[in-house]
Amino acid sequence: MRIVLVPGVPALLPSYASIEDPVADLRAACHHAVAELGPRVRVLASSPLGERVARHLLGAAGAEESEADPTGALVVANGSAKRTVKAPGHLDERAEAFDDDLRRALVQPLPAGLAGIDVDLAAELWADVGAMPALAELLTPGTTAEVDYDDAPYGVQYWVIRWS
Amino acid sequence: MLELGRHTFADDATLMMAIVNRTPDSFYDKGATWAEDAAFERVAAVVEQGAEIVDIGGIKAAPGEEIGPAEEKARVVDFVARVREAYPDLAISVDTWRAEVGDAVCAAGADLLNDAWGGADPDLVDVAAAHGAAIVCTHTGGVTPRTRPFRIEYDDVVAAAIADTVAYAERALAAGVARESIVIDPAHDFGKHTFHSLELTRRLGEMVDTGWPVLVSLSNKDFVGEALGLPVGERLTGTLATTAICAWAGARIYRVHEVVETRQVVDMVATIAGRRPPQRAIRGLQ
Repeated sequence: MRIVLVPGVPALLPSYASIEDPVADLRAACHHAVAELGPRVRVLASSPLGERVARHLLGAAGAEESEADPTGALVVANGSAKRTVKAPGHLDERAEAFDDDLRRALVQPLPAGLAGIDVDLAAELWADVGAMPALAELLTPGTTAEVDYDDAPYGVQYWVIRWS
Repeated sequence: MLELGRHTFADDATLMMAIVNRTPDSFYDKGATWAEDAAFERVAAVVEQGAEIVDIGGIKAAPGEEIGPAEEKARVVDFVARVREAYPDLAISVDTWRAEVGDAVCAAGADLLNDAWGGADPDLVDVAAAHGAAIVCTHTGGVTPRTRPFRIEYDDVVAAAIADTVAYAERALAAGVARESIVIDPAHDFGKHTFHSLELTRRLGEMVDTGWPVLVSLSNKDFVGEALGLPVGERLTGTLATTAICAWAGARIYRVHEVVETRQVVDMVATIAGRRPPQRAIRGLQ
C-alpha cells in the first residue's frame, strides 16, 4: 500500500485561496503525491483541520476517504512551528534538532522512532505529530521513502513524502 | 461579459477609468494636460498605474467658453489615434455628447462613448452601434449640456436616475448597441445638488439591481466638497470613502483622477465583500 505524508496547512484549502498562492510549490507537491494513492484512501490526521486538508487533496485527486480495503494511506502531520522568530510560535532553539530527528525517522524510515516520539516536546514545539504512531504501524520493513518537499517557508517544517 | 469596443472584461471585474483632460480649464487639473504631450504623459502614467480605461475629454463639464464640434474634434480625434497606436490593450473612452464627435473618435480608435450629458444628442447611440462601440448612459434630469443645476427637484432622485438610464440603455439596445456594451451612470452632481448625489450614493445598490453595469464618477466632485466643507484639492479622502460605499453596492467602473488609491479601495471592499480573494493570505494559515 502506498503511503503519503502531507502537512495540515490551512492555506491549501480552497476557502482560504489567495490571488497569489503563498504555498504553490507545496500544493503542487501534495497533489502530485496524493495522485498516486489510488481510489480508496485511509486518512490519518490528528485534527479536524488536518482531515479537511486531507479530504480536499483526495477530492482533487478523484479519490475518496475509505477505511475498507484502502489502496493508500494519507498521513497529515508536520514538524515544528517554532523554527524562526517570525514563525507562528516564535523561535524555540530546540525546533531544528527536533525536526532533524523527525526527518531521519521519516526518511529512513525508523518506525520505532516515530512510534516513540516525544509528544510533550512536540506539543511545546507546536509540531503536529499525532498521526506518527499510526504511520509507524504502516511502515513495514523494506519500505522506502521519496521526499517531494522538505522546507519551512513560514517557520513551520513541512514534508511531502511518499513511501512504497 | 462586458465588451468595451475591442476589449472584453469578466462580469466580476472592476475597472479604473482614468480621466484625461484635453482642456485648458477643467476643475481639478486646471489645464495641466491641455498640451497634447502632457495629456499623452498622463495616459502613460495611468496605464502604468493599472488603469484599464482612459476617458479623454475635450470640453469641461462646467459652463464656459463655447467649444464647437470642430474645435472639440481638433482636441481629441488625433489624440485618440495616437493613444490607440501606442496602447493597443487600453480601452479608450471619449467624454462627449455629440454624435459628430463620437463618429470621428470611433473611427480613430475609441472603444467607448461616455455621454455625460444623458442623451442630449439622440444620434449618439447610432454612432456607437455603427462602430461596435460601447456607450455610457447617464442621468442628468434632462438638463442642457454644460449647465449647472439650479433648484432642480425630483420626487425620487434614485427612481428618476434608474428610469432615465434604463430607458436610455434600452434605446441604445434598440439602435443596435450590443447588450454587453451598455453601461449606466447615475451621474453624481449632473442635474443634482449635494443631497441628490448623497442619496444616489446611499441607494446605489438599487441601480446595480437593474442588472446593467454601473459606472460611478465621484472624483473630487462638489458633493464631496460640500459634504466635508473642503475645496478642490482636499477631497481625496471623501472621494475614497464615497468610492468604498459604491464598491460595496457593486459599481463596476470608476471614473477617477487618482487610479492607485481608488484601485486599492475598490479591491479592499471587494475582498471584504467576498467577491475577490485576498492578494496573498498566509498569516495564521501556515
